Amino acid sequence: MAENFIRDSFDALVIGGGIAGGEAALNLANNGFKVILVEKDLSIGGKMIHLSKVFPTLDCSACITTPKVSEISRHPSITILTGSEVKKIVKRGENDFEAMVIKHPRYVREEDCTGCQLCEQACPVVVKDQYQYDMVGRKAAYIPFSIASPRVAAIDIENCTLCGACEKACPTKCIDFTQEATEYQLSLRTVIIATGFNLFDPLKIERFGYGKMKNVITSMQMERLLAPTRPFNTVLRPGDGKMPCRLAYVLCAGSRDITVGNPICSQICCMYSIKQAQLLMGALPMADVTIYYINIRSFGKGFEEFYDQAKGMGVNFVKGKIGMISEKENGDLILRYEDINASVVKEANHDMVILSVGLVSNPDNAAFFDRGELRLDPFNFVCQTDLLASPARTSIDGVFVAGTASGPMDIPDSILSAGAASSEAMSYIIRK
Amino acid sequence: MAVADTHFGEDLKKFGAFDFNACYNCGTCTAVCSLSDEQNSFPREMVRFSVLGLRDDISASVKPWLCYYCGQCSTHCPQDAKPAELMMSLRRYLTSVYDCSGLGRKLYTSKVWEFGSISLLALVILVLFIFLHGPMTTELTEQGGVKLNTFAPWKQVEIGDWIMAGMLSFFLLSNIFNMYLKIVRKNEGLKIPLKLYVTEFYHLVLHFATQKQLSKCDTLGTRKKFTFSSYWIIHWFLMSSYVVMFIMIVFFLGWFQTDNIYHWTHPQRLLGYYATAGLLTGVVWFFVARFRKRDEKSKHSHITDWTFLVLLFLTTVTGILVQIFRINGMPYPTYYTYVIHLMVLFPMLMIEVPFSKWSHLAYRPFAIYFDRVVQAAKKIK
Repeated sequence: MAENFIRDSFDALVIGGGIAGGEAALNLANNGFKVILVEKDLSIGGKMIHLSKVFPTLDCSACITTPKVSEISRHPSITILTGSEVKKIVKRGENDFEAMVIKHPRYVREEDCTGCQLCEQACPVVVKDQYQYDMVGRKAAYIPFSIASPRVAAIDIENCTLCGACEKACPTKCIDFTQEATEYQLSLRTVIIATGFNLFDPLKIERFGYGKMKNVITSMQMERLLAPTRPFNTVLRPGDGKMPCRLAYVLCAGSRDITVGNPICSQICCMYSIKQAQLLMGALPMADVTIYYINIRSFGKGFEEFYDQAKGMGVNFVKGKIGMISEKENGDLILRYEDINASVVKEANHDMVILSVGLVSNPDNAAFFDRGELRLDPFNFVCQTDLLASPARTSIDGVFVAGTASGPMDIPDSILSAGAASSEAMSYIIRK
Repeated sequence: MAVADTHFGEDLKKFGAFDFNACYNCGTCTAVCSLSDEQNSFPREMVRFSVLGLRDDISASVKPWLCYYCGQCSTHCPQDAKPAELMMSLRRYLTSVYDCSGLGRKLYTSKVWEFGSISLLALVILVLFIFLHGPMTTELTEQGGVKLNTFAPWKQVEIGDWIMAGMLSFFLLSNIFNMYLKIVRKNEGLKIPLKLYVTEFYHLVLHFATQKQLSKCDTLGTRKKFTFSSYWIIHWFLMSSYVVMFIMIVFFLGWFQTDNIYHWTHPQRLLGYYATAGLLTGVVWFFVARFRKRDEKSKHSHITDWTFLVLLFLTTVTGILVQIFRINGMPYPTYYTYVIHLMVLFPMLMIEVPFSKWSHLAYRPFAIYFDRVVQAAKKIK
């Protein structure tokens, strides 16, 4: 395949267009540096753009993310590559990095697409919508999600039948099935890794029945059910579309658990579960929400008050981790656990269960360096070699880490970390 | 008020426990346990007691005896605290607690005591035979069998049998009485009507005869109340074989240890074959399981687990050899293996019945029985 080849140079390469990468890119650009932001996904905004509200203030997550995202998109000093992957980074010397980036074909000319969605209407192929965490369908010609940036269509070539219906429907003729990958050869002075995290895969814990029992969902799916751009416009359980009235949260699903290889705390699950519980009390006023926990870790500013607020609103907190979940014929779920305060094993009936899945490292975070060049910590997050004095520093001088690429943290901490990474990157460039 | 005993953990490690201090009290172990119910939830509470070193609460608990070690708790423990192995070591610990003589403790915690007493008991048998054995005749019976009863008249062996049975009963019954004091009498102020001891007695018989709790092990996922697991069948085969053999050699020795060679359909031979097959199958099965370490319950073996299996295996094999030599008219091999057979059998019973694995056979149904009595009495109240 003859690839397009582009050679260019920037001051900084930011890998990952989530909230941490975006913040770092903005800081650098606002200080006059030329930045290239490489995002693997079709839109920037990361995980945060899909969330409902943020804790502990209950501010709308999308309302914080979207202005930031559009600021990044419009910034003259930031070049964004979506649907692109960093393949290789070589450090040639101080302030001298070389990176190879592949921009995968979108089969849509971004600059011509108006986001009219006519291709979406014309496309006959329906597949699961990964941006709604598989709860609804989407077309093979689609705009990723309504607040995507860039809000431009893409063709899911793996599922596309090449029927050409979208091509005919497109008013600007921007669909181009002949598009090929573009290779970028970039000269850079510094690199910021903001590859973020992956959600823990709950299929690894068979006892929780995820994937087998339809009314067991992940917290990210609940996040979508509660978000302003939610799929059903209300909270429905996936099994039969019933409005749930007894919801249960299973905390530490895949965190603090040696058996799944993730013995550390994910830091955010307690708080987002408490947040969702409060939102559910608003969305489903008649519902009972129970949170099963080992310890509630409400360590941040305003967190304990937020926890108290949930208790005050009537959220049930039960000390005891769920051991196993079984399904009744009507789709209701039986949760077996030990009530730690009574030291008695109990079974509780719920009609919907939310697994508060934790964060695990993103295996992409070191893939572009030579094996072992970028040091990782025991849990495969990027190792912060000077955690106290210079928290963004990695084992390679000139490569910095921002956000959850270095370990589990919440949104404010990610943004703080991005601030640290960008200022350390700037002083690295200036220092020479 | 309970006082924490920080040395208890060190003590329990001698009985085979691992680092149960890793436990962060999530209760996963209790929730995945098929045998945990609302009356008796375990093992987390026992882990907690052990961490705090609450010896009195542990001694008063029946819970270690209700666990049959399916290993699900250890498999799913998010902290790898190995609660199943803790329950096993608590069973070992409890046998030493019930035993006032202090021998049980020594046998579990000291290899010198364990192997020293086995050797000593074997030596006693050897000495007795050297001085008291009958004539080693090479003359055969009319059927061509060895005259074993001339070398070791069953009446004299039976005297030894009864002395041994007396000692075993003394140790075991006094241990069970101690267990009764710790479990039932511990409930101060609880009035237990005598009638309850009678009405609940069937639990003792039922659970002794069937070990049916073991069959429930590991059935939580399937939600079945009873499954014939291969593990239960093997265990029951081994256990019933042992009981049959024990009854034959202690109560019917004259009938069992005979110079006659019966037709193979004779009950003496059939029961003998059943018991031998059961013992051999069980021992080999558990040997293989403990070597392969594939399932959780066979992963960790205390030295006494091996001793038990080795002694039982040697007893069975020498027993088979005695029978083969006797039937085929080989006098000297018969006599020597018979002596060796008893040299293994005697320590095996003396150590295992009151202090080790075989005692579980008694403690488990008694624990359920005592628990039922206490529960029933509480209900009346």
